[in-house]
Amino acid sequence: MSWQGELNKYLASAYKNWIISRRNIFTVFELFFWPMISLLSIGLLTRFLKVEGSMVSFLLVGAIALTILQVAQIDVAYVLLFDMWSKSIKNTFIAPVHSYHLIFGASLFGILRGSVVFFILAIVSRYLFGFNFQEGGLLPVLIFLAGVFAMAVVIGITVCISILTFGQKADVAAWSLSGLILLVSGIYYPVEVLPPVLQVLARALPLTYFLEYYRSIFIPGPHHLAMGAFLAAFYLGLGLILLDHAIERARKTGILLRLSE
Amino acid sequence: MTEKSVEAKGICKSYKSFFGTAARVLENISLDIETGEIFGLLGPNGSGKTTLISIFSTLIYPERGSLFILGMDARRDKGEIRKAVNISTAKPNFPWSLTVKENLRHYGMLYGLYGSALSRTVEDQIDAFELGEFRDMKFENLSTGLKQRLSLAKAMLNSPRLLFLDEPTTGLDPDMSIRTRMLIKRIHQEQNISVVLSTHDMPEAEMLCDRIAFLRKGQIVAMDTPRNLKKHLGLGERVVVSYEGLADIAALESLPGILGIKAKMGRVEIVMDRSADSLDRIIKLFCDARILDIVIKEPDLEDVFLELAR
Repeated sequence: MSWQGELNKYLASAYKNWIISRRNIFTVFELFFWPMISLLSIGLLTRFLKVEGSMVSFLLVGAIALTILQVAQIDVAYVLLFDMWSKSIKNTFIAPVHSYHLIFGASLFGILRGSVVFFILAIVSRYLFGFNFQEGGLLPVLIFLAGVFAMAVVIGITVCISILTFGQKADVAAWSLSGLILLVSGIYYPVEVLPPVLQVLARALPLTYFLEYYRSIFIPGPHHLAMGAFLAAFYLGLGLILLDHAIERARKTGILLRLSE
Repeated sequence: MTEKSVEAKGICKSYKSFFGTAARVLENISLDIETGEIFGLLGPNGSGKTTLISIFSTLIYPERGSLFILGMDARRDKGEIRKAVNISTAKPNFPWSLTVKENLRHYGMLYGLYGSALSRTVEDQIDAFELGEFRDMKFENLSTGLKQRLSLAKAMLNSPRLLFLDEPTTGLDPDMSIRTRMLIKRIHQEQNISVVLSTHDMPEAEMLCDRIAFLRKGQIVAMDTPRNLKKHLGLGERVVVSYEGLADIAALESLPGILGIKAKMGRVEIVMDRSADSLDRIIKLFCDARILDIVIKEPDLEDVFLELAR
C-alpha cells in the first residue's frame, strides 16, 4: 500500500471525530464552557484567598493542565466510544487497521482540540489573572503541552483497553481516570503533601514531572524532565502493546461482536 | 488446484466471560466454499450463523480448528485477508451523525483509499446503491432500507473478493427485500465475487444460494444445493388428489419415486420425487374414478427448514 493510503488509515479516526464533534452541541461545552468554569473558579479562589503571584501561576498551571488533559484524553477514548455507542465497532475492526492507526488519528484531533483550549485559557488567564504562560519562552510551553498530551493519550488508551476487556460498562473509565490523575499528580499542590503511598504513584506518572518542569519557570525549583519524558515514552509504547493485546483478546473472547449488538 | 474462498475444518467457538465461564456456540464446523459461489448459512436464531460469519471475516477468532480464507491462513495472514473481504452486518450500524457520504469516506480511509480514488469509489458506491438522493442525510435519519443499502455500499468499498452478508434483508419490507436480493445477485454476477450469506428467509436462500448449510445449535446438520437438500430429506413434490369413486391406492405404493402416501376417504396426498416422473402413472390409477381436484405443490426450503430445525 502507498504511503498516502497508509496515512489515510491514520487520519480516518481524526476525520470521524472531527465531524462528530462539529455536529455536537456538547463540543461547545467541552471546548469553552467547562474549561472556563474550571479556570475562573480557581482564578477567583486565588483572589479570595489573596494568594500571591507565583502561587497563582502554580494553581493556574494545574487548572489549565487538568482541563486540556481531560479534553485530549476523551478525544482519544472517543475513537472506541463513538463506535461502541453507535454499535458500529464491528465495521472498524473488520477493516485492515491496527491499534496505532486508530490511536494516532484520535490523538491528533485530541491534541488539536487541547491546543485550542490551552490557547483560550492562556489568553483569558493572562488578562484576568495576570498569568503569563510564555514567561520562560515558547519551548517550555511546547514541552509542557507535549507532556500533558502524552499523558492524555495514555489515559485514552487505558480507557480503550478497559472497554475491550470489560465491555460497555467500562466507559465510566473515560471520565474517572482523569480524576485519579488530578488527585495523584499534584495538579493543585506539590506531590510532597500526598501520603507516602500516593507519592510513589505520583512519581510513576509522567504528568507529575511535566507539571514540576513548567512550574519551575514561575517558582524556581528542581525538576526531572528527562524522567517525565522517559515515562511518557514508556507508557505510550506499553499502552499500544497492551491495546493490541486487548484487541486480540477481544477477538478471542468475542467481546468485539457483543459490543456491536 | 483452484483456490477455495473458505476452507474450514473443525471450527469450534465458545464465548467466555471475563471470569472464564464459557458458552459453546459452534461445534466442529467443517466446510469448503468454492470461488464464485453464493453460499447460504441457514438456521434458527441462536444457531451460530453470525458467529460463523464473524469468524470467517476474521473479526473474531475460533477456539479450535483450521481456517483458510481465499487460500490464506486466517491466523497468520489476517491482515491480508481483511484487505480482501468485507461484511454487511445484520442491523447495520454506523456512526449516527455522519452522513451517507461521510460514512463511506471514513470507511474508505480505513481501507487505505485516498485522493481521487477515494472520492471516485465513494461516488461509485453511492450511484451503485442508489443513495445519491440521500448522500447528505445523517445515518440516524435513514430508513431501515437505506441503512441496509449503505451497509452494502460500505461492504463494496474495497472491491472484496469475498463478501459476507449477515441477514441482509432483515427488517426490510417485501418490496425492499426483493430489490436487495436483486442487488446482491447483480453484485455477484457483475463483480464475480464469492458471497457467504446468512439468513432465515427461505425464499431468499432459494433464490440466491448455490449451496446451503443448515446450522442448528452450532452444528451443521445438512449441507448441499437447495434442490438436493429437498430431495435427500424426502421432501418431494406433494400431489393432492381429491376424487369420487374407486382408485387403486395400494398400487400407488409400488410406483417408483413415491416417498409417502396419506389417504382418507376421497382424498389422497402423495409425496413423490420429481425426478422419478411418476405423475402420469399416478393419474392412470384414478382412471375408474372422477378426479375433482388435483394440486401439485413443490417443496420449498421452508419445509426443509422445519424438518431440520426439529
